[in-house]
Amino acid sequence: MPSCRTLMMKRRQSSLVDCAPITDKPGTDRAMRTAVTRARRGAGAPRFAHQQALDRAIAALVQSIPVGPEIAEWFANESLIPAGKRRWRKILFNPVVVAIAIAVMVIAGVFSYRVHERIKDFPGASAARHLLTVASSTRSVLLDPIRTDAGALSDLFFMKHRLEHYDVPPTFADFKTIGCRVFDDEDGQRVAQIWLVEKHMQLFLFPAEKDPQGRRVPDFDDWRFVEQEGWTGAVKQRNGVCFMAAIRGTDKDLAPYLSTKSEQPASSAAR
Amino acid sequence: MTGDLDKAKDAFQGTVREAALRSARGEPPADRLWFFRDARWRCLALTDKDLQAEPGHLAEHEVAPFAPAQVEQLHVEQLAAWVSAAPEPQRSAMALFYLDEFSQAELASVLELKPRELPQLIATGRREFQAWLDAVVPHVDDEA
Repeated sequence: MPSCRTLMMKRRQSSLVDCAPITDKPGTDRAMRTAVTRARRGAGAPRFAHQQALDRAIAALVQSIPVGPEIAEWFANESLIPAGKRRWRKILFNPVVVAIAIAVMVIAGVFSYRVHERIKDFPGASAARHLLTVASSTRSVLLDPIRTDAGALSDLFFMKHRLEHYDVPPTFADFKTIGCRVFDDEDGQRVAQIWLVEKHMQLFLFPAEKDPQGRRVPDFDDWRFVEQEGWTGAVKQRNGVCFMAAIRGTDKDLAPYLSTKSEQPASSAAR
Repeated sequence: MTGDLDKAKDAFQGTVREAALRSARGEPPADRLWFFRDARWRCLALTDKDLQAEPGHLAEHEVAPFAPAQVEQLHVEQLAAWVSAAPEPQRSAMALFYLDEFSQAELASVLELKPRELPQLIATGRREFQAWLDAVVPHVDDEA
Protein backbone atom coordinates (compact mmCIF):
# COMPACT_ATOMS: atom_id res chain seq x y z
CA MET A 1 0.00 0.00 0.00
CA PRO A 2 1.58 3.30 -1.04
CA SER A 3 2.50 5.61 1.82
CA CYS A 4 1.05 9.08 2.27
CA ARG A 5 4.36 10.58 1.18
CA THR A 6 4.42 8.51 -2.01
CA LEU A 7 0.89 9.60 -2.83
CA MET A 8 1.79 13.23 -2.25
CA MET A 9 4.85 12.88 -4.50
CA LYS A 10 2.77 11.26 -7.23
CA ARG A 11 0.18 14.03 -6.99
CA ARG A 12 2.88 16.68 -7.16
CA GLN A 13 4.52 15.04 -10.16
CA SER A 14 1.20 14.65 -11.92
CA SER A 15 0.53 18.32 -11.23
CA LEU A 16 3.92 19.30 -12.65
CA VAL A 17 3.29 17.25 -15.78
CA ASP A 18 0.15 19.31 -16.44
CA CYS A 19 2.33 22.30 -17.19
CA ALA A 20 5.30 20.44 -18.63
CA PRO A 21 7.44 22.60 -20.92
CA ILE A 22 6.35 22.39 -24.54
CA THR A 23 9.91 22.30 -25.79
CA ASP A 24 13.06 21.29 -23.94
CA LYS A 25 14.49 24.35 -22.24
CA PRO A 26 17.87 24.56 -20.55
CA GLY A 27 16.51 26.21 -17.40
CA THR A 28 13.98 23.48 -16.55
CA ASP A 29 14.26 22.56 -12.89
CA ARG A 30 15.09 19.09 -11.63
CA ALA A 31 11.62 18.33 -10.24
CA MET A 32 10.02 19.10 -13.59
CA ARG A 33 12.60 17.06 -15.51
CA THR A 34 11.98 14.09 -13.21
CA ALA A 35 8.21 14.42 -13.54
CA VAL A 36 8.44 14.60 -17.33
CA THR A 37 10.77 11.60 -17.54
CA ARG A 38 8.42 9.54 -15.38
CA ALA A 39 5.40 10.67 -17.38
CA ARG A 40 7.12 9.58 -20.60
CA ARG A 41 7.92 6.15 -19.20
CA GLY A 42 4.96 5.50 -16.91
CA ALA A 43 1.49 4.10 -17.46
CA GLY A 44 0.19 7.53 -18.46
CA ALA A 45 2.72 7.86 -21.30
CA PRO A 46 0.12 7.84 -24.14
CA ARG A 47 -1.96 10.50 -22.38
CA PHE A 48 1.13 12.63 -21.82
CA ALA A 49 2.16 12.17 -25.46
CA HIS A 50 -1.26 13.48 -26.58
CA GLN A 51 -0.93 16.43 -24.22
CA GLN A 52 2.52 17.30 -25.56
CA ALA A 53 1.37 16.93 -29.16
CA LEU A 54 -1.55 19.29 -28.54
CA ASP A 55 0.69 21.78 -26.71
CA ARG A 56 3.21 21.75 -29.55
CA ALA A 57 0.48 22.25 -32.14
CA ILE A 58 -0.96 25.24 -30.26
CA ALA A 59 2.50 26.73 -29.65
CA ALA A 60 3.26 26.39 -33.37
CA LEU A 61 0.03 28.20 -34.18
CA VAL A 62 0.92 30.95 -31.70
CA GLN A 63 4.41 31.25 -33.18
CA SER A 64 2.89 31.70 -36.60
CA ILE A 65 1.25 34.98 -35.51
CA PRO A 66 3.06 37.62 -37.54
CA VAL A 67 4.80 40.40 -35.62
CA GLY A 68 4.11 43.82 -37.11
CA PRO A 69 7.10 45.73 -38.49
CA GLU A 70 6.65 48.61 -36.04
CA ILE A 71 6.74 46.19 -33.10
CA ALA A 72 9.77 44.38 -34.49
CA GLU A 73 11.45 47.76 -34.84
CA TRP A 74 11.03 48.42 -31.12
CA PHE A 75 12.88 45.27 -30.27
CA ALA A 76 15.62 46.01 -32.80
CA ASN A 77 16.29 49.57 -31.59
CA GLU A 78 15.51 49.63 -27.90
CA SER A 79 17.33 48.07 -25.04
CA LEU A 80 15.05 48.58 -22.09
CA ILE A 81 16.19 45.77 -19.88
CA PRO A 82 19.38 46.58 -18.03
CA ALA A 83 22.23 44.15 -18.40
CA GLY A 84 22.09 41.69 -15.54
CA LYS A 85 24.17 43.00 -12.66
CA ARG A 86 26.25 40.61 -10.71
CA ARG A 87 24.47 40.50 -7.44
CA TRP A 88 27.11 39.48 -4.96
CA ARG A 89 24.60 38.95 -2.22
CA LYS A 90 22.64 36.56 -4.44
CA ILE A 91 25.80 34.75 -5.47
CA LEU A 92 26.93 34.46 -1.86
CA PHE A 93 23.64 32.97 -0.71
CA ASN A 94 23.44 30.52 -3.59
CA PRO A 95 23.10 27.06 -1.96
CA VAL A 96 25.90 25.66 -4.11
CA VAL A 97 28.25 28.47 -3.07
CA VAL A 98 27.22 28.09 0.58
CA ALA A 99 27.79 24.32 0.42
CA ILE A 100 31.21 24.78 -1.17
CA ALA A 101 32.14 27.45 1.39
CA ILE A 102 31.13 25.18 4.29
CA ALA A 103 33.06 22.27 2.77
CA VAL A 104 36.16 24.43 2.30
CA MET A 105 35.89 25.71 5.88
CA VAL A 106 35.58 22.16 7.23
CA ILE A 107 38.57 21.01 5.16
CA ALA A 108 40.57 24.07 6.28
CA GLY A 109 39.58 23.41 9.90
CA VAL A 110 40.61 19.77 9.75
CA PHE A 111 43.82 20.70 7.95
CA SER A 112 44.77 23.40 10.46
CA TYR A 113 43.91 21.07 13.34
CA ARG A 114 46.18 18.42 11.82
CA VAL A 115 48.97 20.96 11.30
CA HIS A 116 48.58 22.22 14.87
CA GLU A 117 48.61 18.67 16.14
CA ARG A 118 51.70 17.88 14.05
CA ILE A 119 53.53 20.97 15.38
CA LYS A 120 52.80 19.87 18.93
CA ASP A 121 53.75 16.26 18.16
CA PHE A 122 56.84 14.56 19.53
CA PRO A 123 58.44 11.18 18.78
CA GLY A 124 56.09 8.51 20.07
CA ALA A 125 53.01 10.74 20.06
CA SER A 126 51.08 8.52 17.65
CA ALA A 127 51.80 5.42 19.75
CA ALA A 128 50.77 7.37 22.85
CA ARG A 129 47.49 8.38 21.20
CA HIS A 130 46.81 4.77 20.27
CA LEU A 131 47.45 3.73 23.87
CA LEU A 132 44.98 6.36 25.07
CA THR A 133 42.40 4.57 22.94
CA VAL A 134 43.45 1.34 24.63
CA ALA A 135 43.10 3.07 28.00
CA SER A 136 39.59 4.25 27.22
CA SER A 137 38.47 0.73 26.25
CA THR A 138 40.28 -1.27 28.91
CA ARG A 139 38.27 -2.88 31.70
CA SER A 140 39.96 -3.85 34.97
CA VAL A 141 39.10 -7.54 34.42
CA LEU A 142 41.53 -7.61 31.50
CA LEU A 143 44.45 -6.93 33.81
CA ASP A 144 46.14 -9.30 36.21
CA PRO A 145 45.01 -8.17 39.65
CA ILE A 146 47.98 -7.04 41.66
CA ARG A 147 47.87 -4.73 44.64
CA THR A 148 51.21 -3.11 45.24
CA ASP A 149 53.08 0.14 44.70
CA ALA A 150 53.45 1.09 41.04
CA GLY A 151 57.18 1.48 41.43
CA ALA A 152 57.50 -2.17 42.47
CA LEU A 153 56.18 -3.36 39.14
CA SER A 154 59.34 -2.33 37.32
CA ASP A 155 61.08 -5.34 38.82
CA LEU A 156 58.20 -7.58 37.84
CA PHE A 157 58.43 -6.37 34.24
CA PHE A 158 62.16 -6.95 34.21
CA MET A 159 62.18 -10.36 35.84
CA LYS A 160 59.01 -11.89 34.42
CA HIS A 161 58.87 -10.27 30.97
CA ARG A 162 62.52 -9.31 30.45
CA LEU A 163 61.54 -5.70 29.86
CA GLU A 164 64.55 -3.60 30.66
CA HIS A 165 64.15 0.03 31.71
CA TYR A 166 60.37 -0.31 32.01
CA ASP A 167 60.58 1.91 35.08
CA VAL A 168 57.82 3.92 36.67
CA PRO A 169 59.05 7.45 37.47
CA PRO A 170 59.33 8.24 41.20
CA THR A 171 56.47 10.71 41.04
CA PHE A 172 54.09 7.78 40.34
CA ALA A 173 56.05 5.06 42.13
CA ASP A 174 54.09 5.26 45.40
CA PHE A 175 50.60 4.99 43.93
CA LYS A 176 48.70 1.79 44.68
CA THR A 177 47.87 -0.44 41.74
CA ILE A 178 44.74 -2.43 40.88
CA GLY A 179 46.35 -4.57 38.21
CA CYS A 180 48.78 -4.71 35.35
CA ARG A 181 49.48 -6.55 32.13
CA VAL A 182 52.03 -6.75 29.34
CA PHE A 183 50.80 -7.02 25.77
CA ASP A 184 52.05 -6.61 22.23
CA ASP A 185 50.82 -3.57 20.31
CA GLU A 186 50.02 -3.52 16.57
CA ASP A 187 53.73 -3.21 15.73
CA GLY A 188 54.66 -6.12 17.96
CA GLN A 189 56.21 -3.84 20.57
CA ARG A 190 55.89 -4.88 24.20
CA VAL A 191 53.67 -2.53 26.18
CA ALA A 192 53.24 -2.57 29.94
CA GLN A 193 49.96 -1.25 31.32
CA ILE A 194 49.33 -0.46 34.97
CA TRP A 195 46.00 0.53 36.48
CA LEU A 196 46.16 2.76 39.55
CA VAL A 197 43.66 3.17 42.35
CA GLU A 198 44.28 6.92 42.22
CA LYS A 199 41.56 8.42 40.02
CA HIS A 200 41.69 5.22 37.94
CA MET A 201 44.75 6.54 36.18
CA GLN A 202 46.59 4.20 33.85
CA LEU A 203 50.32 4.09 33.27
CA PHE A 204 51.91 2.80 30.09
CA LEU A 205 55.48 1.90 29.34
CA PHE A 206 56.41 1.29 25.74
CA PRO A 207 59.53 1.36 23.53
CA ALA A 208 60.56 4.75 22.17
CA GLU A 209 60.10 5.50 18.51
CA LYS A 210 62.97 4.91 16.13
CA ASP A 211 64.01 7.20 13.31
CA PRO A 212 63.96 6.00 9.64
CA GLN A 213 67.53 4.78 10.00
CA GLY A 214 66.45 2.57 12.89
CA ARG A 215 68.21 4.66 15.52
CA ARG A 216 66.54 5.48 18.78
CA VAL A 217 65.31 9.08 19.03
CA PRO A 218 66.83 11.17 21.84
CA ASP A 219 65.20 10.95 25.26
CA PHE A 220 63.24 13.87 26.65
CA ASP A 221 62.71 14.53 30.31
CA ASP A 222 59.90 17.09 30.16
CA TRP A 223 56.26 16.08 30.13
CA ARG A 224 54.62 16.18 26.70
CA PHE A 225 50.90 15.87 26.31
CA VAL A 226 48.59 13.99 23.95
CA GLU A 227 44.80 13.88 23.89
CA GLN A 228 42.44 11.30 22.48
CA GLU A 229 38.78 10.48 23.05
CA GLY A 230 38.50 12.53 26.25
CA TRP A 231 41.70 11.08 27.70
CA THR A 232 44.93 12.95 28.26
CA GLY A 233 48.37 11.46 28.48
CA ALA A 234 51.60 12.95 29.83
CA VAL A 235 54.63 11.36 28.21
CA LYS A 236 58.33 11.43 28.92
CA GLN A 237 61.13 9.25 27.54
CA ARG A 238 64.09 7.81 29.37
CA ASN A 239 66.55 5.07 28.37
CA GLY A 240 64.67 4.41 25.15
CA VAL A 241 61.39 3.70 26.94
CA CYS A 242 58.41 6.03 26.97
CA PHE A 243 56.35 6.39 30.09
CA MET A 244 52.81 7.72 29.84
CA ALA A 245 50.41 8.58 32.64
CA ALA A 246 46.88 8.61 31.27
CA ILE A 247 43.77 10.07 32.86
CA ARG A 248 40.21 10.65 31.73
CA GLY A 249 40.11 14.44 31.54
CA THR A 250 42.43 17.24 30.57
CA ASP A 251 46.06 18.09 31.25
CA LYS A 252 44.84 20.16 34.23
CA ASP A 253 43.67 16.92 35.86
CA LEU A 254 47.13 15.43 35.39
CA ALA A 255 49.11 18.50 36.39
CA PRO A 256 49.07 17.86 40.16
CA TYR A 257 50.76 14.47 39.63
CA LEU A 258 53.55 15.65 37.39
CA SER A 259 56.79 16.55 39.02
CA THR A 260 58.90 18.98 37.02
CA LYS A 261 62.18 18.11 38.64
CA SER A 262 64.29 15.46 36.94
CA GLU A 263 64.49 12.36 39.02
CA GLN A 264 66.03 8.94 38.61
CA PRO A 265 63.47 6.12 38.56
CA ALA A 266 63.53 4.22 41.78
CA SER A 267 64.03 0.75 40.32
CA SER A 268 66.81 1.74 37.94
CA ALA A 269 68.69 3.29 40.79
CA ALA A 270 68.24 0.09 42.77
CA ARG A 271 69.48 -2.02 39.85
CA MET B 1 -5.31 37.85 -24.61
CA THR B 2 -7.36 40.76 -25.86
CA GLY B 3 -8.65 39.02 -28.98
CA ASP B 4 -8.14 42.30 -30.78
CA LEU B 5 -4.96 43.31 -32.61
CA ASP B 6 -5.36 47.04 -31.96
CA LYS B 7 -5.87 46.54 -28.24
CA ALA B 8 -2.88 44.26 -28.13
CA LYS B 9 -0.81 46.94 -29.85
CA ASP B 10 -2.05 49.54 -27.37
CA ALA B 11 -1.07 47.32 -24.46
CA PHE B 12 2.32 46.60 -25.99
CA GLN B 13 3.07 50.24 -26.73
CA GLY B 14 1.90 51.28 -23.28
CA THR B 15 4.26 48.78 -21.70
CA VAL B 16 7.21 49.79 -23.87
CA ARG B 17 6.50 53.48 -23.19
CA GLU B 18 6.38 52.85 -19.46
CA ALA B 19 9.67 50.94 -19.66
CA ALA B 20 11.25 53.78 -21.63
CA LEU B 21 10.05 56.32 -19.05
CA ARG B 22 11.42 54.26 -16.22
CA SER B 23 14.74 53.89 -18.02
CA ALA B 24 14.86 57.65 -18.55
CA ARG B 25 14.30 58.14 -14.82
CA GLY B 26 17.16 55.78 -14.11
CA GLU B 27 14.85 53.06 -12.80
CA PRO B 28 14.72 50.54 -15.66
CA PRO B 29 12.55 47.42 -15.38
CA ALA B 30 14.22 44.82 -13.21
CA ASP B 31 13.89 41.96 -15.69
CA ARG B 32 12.03 40.76 -18.77
CA LEU B 33 9.18 39.38 -16.63
CA TRP B 34 8.29 42.95 -15.74
CA PHE B 35 7.25 43.53 -19.39
CA PHE B 36 4.92 40.56 -19.43
CA ARG B 37 3.45 41.42 -16.03
CA ASP B 38 2.83 45.02 -17.08
CA ALA B 39 1.46 44.03 -20.49
CA ARG B 40 -0.85 41.51 -18.88
CA TRP B 41 -2.41 44.11 -16.58
CA ARG B 42 -2.78 46.51 -19.49
CA CYS B 43 -4.54 43.81 -21.53
CA LEU B 44 -6.85 43.07 -18.63
CA ALA B 45 -7.62 46.76 -18.19
CA LEU B 46 -8.35 47.15 -21.90
CA THR B 47 -10.64 44.13 -22.06
CA ASP B 48 -12.36 45.00 -18.81
CA LYS B 49 -14.66 47.39 -20.65
CA ASP B 50 -15.62 44.79 -23.28
CA LEU B 51 -18.46 42.36 -23.15
CA GLN B 52 -17.55 39.63 -20.70
CA ALA B 53 -18.32 35.96 -21.10
CA GLU B 54 -20.94 34.81 -18.67
CA PRO B 55 -19.53 32.65 -15.94
CA GLY B 56 -20.65 29.09 -16.27
CA HIS B 57 -19.46 25.54 -16.52
CA LEU B 58 -17.64 24.76 -19.74
CA ALA B 59 -17.48 21.29 -21.19
CA GLU B 60 -14.22 19.43 -20.76
CA HIS B 61 -12.87 16.61 -22.92
CA GLU B 62 -9.78 14.55 -22.46
CA VAL B 63 -7.03 15.50 -24.91
CA ALA B 64 -7.48 13.41 -28.03
CA PRO B 65 -4.72 11.86 -30.14
CA PHE B 66 -6.08 13.69 -33.16
CA ALA B 67 -6.01 17.10 -31.42
CA PRO B 68 -2.93 18.35 -33.38
CA ALA B 69 -4.74 17.68 -36.63
CA GLN B 70 -7.71 19.66 -35.33
CA VAL B 71 -5.43 22.56 -34.33
CA GLU B 72 -3.93 22.61 -37.82
CA GLN B 73 -7.37 23.43 -39.18
CA LEU B 74 -7.73 26.43 -36.87
CA HIS B 75 -7.08 30.03 -37.76
CA VAL B 76 -5.02 32.14 -35.42
CA GLU B 77 -8.02 34.45 -34.93
CA GLN B 78 -10.12 31.52 -33.72
CA LEU B 79 -7.49 30.59 -31.17
CA ALA B 80 -7.22 34.23 -30.08
CA ALA B 81 -10.99 34.42 -29.72
CA TRP B 82 -11.07 31.31 -27.54
CA VAL B 83 -8.21 32.48 -25.33
CA SER B 84 -9.63 35.97 -24.90
CA ALA B 85 -13.02 34.54 -23.91
CA ALA B 86 -11.56 32.42 -21.14
CA PRO B 87 -12.00 33.67 -17.57
CA GLU B 88 -9.11 35.18 -15.67
CA PRO B 89 -6.58 34.01 -14.58
CA GLN B 90 -6.99 31.04 -16.92
CA ARG B 91 -6.85 33.34 -19.94
CA SER B 92 -3.50 34.82 -18.95
CA ALA B 93 -2.18 31.40 -17.96
CA MET B 94 -3.05 29.84 -21.32
CA ALA B 95 -1.80 32.82 -23.31
CA LEU B 96 1.54 32.94 -21.55
CA PHE B 97 1.97 29.17 -21.36
CA TYR B 98 1.60 28.76 -25.13
CA LEU B 99 4.15 31.50 -25.75
CA ASP B 100 6.55 28.76 -24.63
CA GLU B 101 8.87 31.35 -23.12
CA PHE B 102 8.69 30.69 -19.40
CA SER B 103 9.43 28.11 -16.77
CA GLN B 104 6.68 27.15 -14.35
CA ALA B 105 8.13 29.42 -11.66
CA GLU B 106 8.36 32.37 -14.06
CA LEU B 107 4.79 31.82 -15.21
CA ALA B 108 3.55 31.73 -11.63
CA SER B 109 5.52 34.91 -10.96
CA VAL B 110 4.12 36.79 -13.96
CA LEU B 111 0.59 35.64 -13.17
CA GLU B 112 1.05 36.29 -9.45
CA LEU B 113 -0.19 32.79 -8.68
CA LYS B 114 0.95 30.11 -6.28
CA PRO B 115 3.02 27.52 -8.19
CA ARG B 116 0.48 24.74 -7.46
CA GLU B 117 -2.42 26.76 -8.90
CA LEU B 118 -0.85 27.02 -12.34
CA PRO B 119 -0.94 23.32 -13.36
CA GLN B 120 -4.64 23.18 -12.45
CA LEU B 121 -5.44 26.18 -14.63
CA ILE B 122 -3.47 24.78 -17.57
CA ALA B 123 -4.94 21.29 -17.26
CA THR B 124 -8.51 22.57 -17.05
CA GLY B 125 -7.89 25.01 -19.90
CA ARG B 126 -6.49 22.21 -22.04
CA ARG B 127 -9.55 20.01 -21.51
CA GLU B 128 -11.90 22.92 -22.20
CA PHE B 129 -9.92 23.74 -25.32
CA GLN B 130 -10.27 20.12 -26.50
CA ALA B 131 -14.03 20.29 -25.94
CA TRP B 132 -14.17 23.55 -27.87
CA LEU B 133 -12.00 22.03 -30.64
CA ASP B 134 -14.35 19.06 -30.88
CA ALA B 135 -17.22 21.50 -31.34
CA VAL B 136 -15.48 23.84 -33.81
CA VAL B 137 -13.37 21.37 -35.79
CA PRO B 138 -15.01 17.98 -35.28
CA HIS B 139 -12.74 15.08 -35.96
CA VAL B 140 -13.75 12.89 -38.82
CA ASP B 141 -12.51 9.34 -38.58
CA ASP B 142 -10.93 8.34 -41.91
CA GLU B 143 -12.02 4.75 -41.53
CA ALA B 144 -15.65 5.71 -40.96
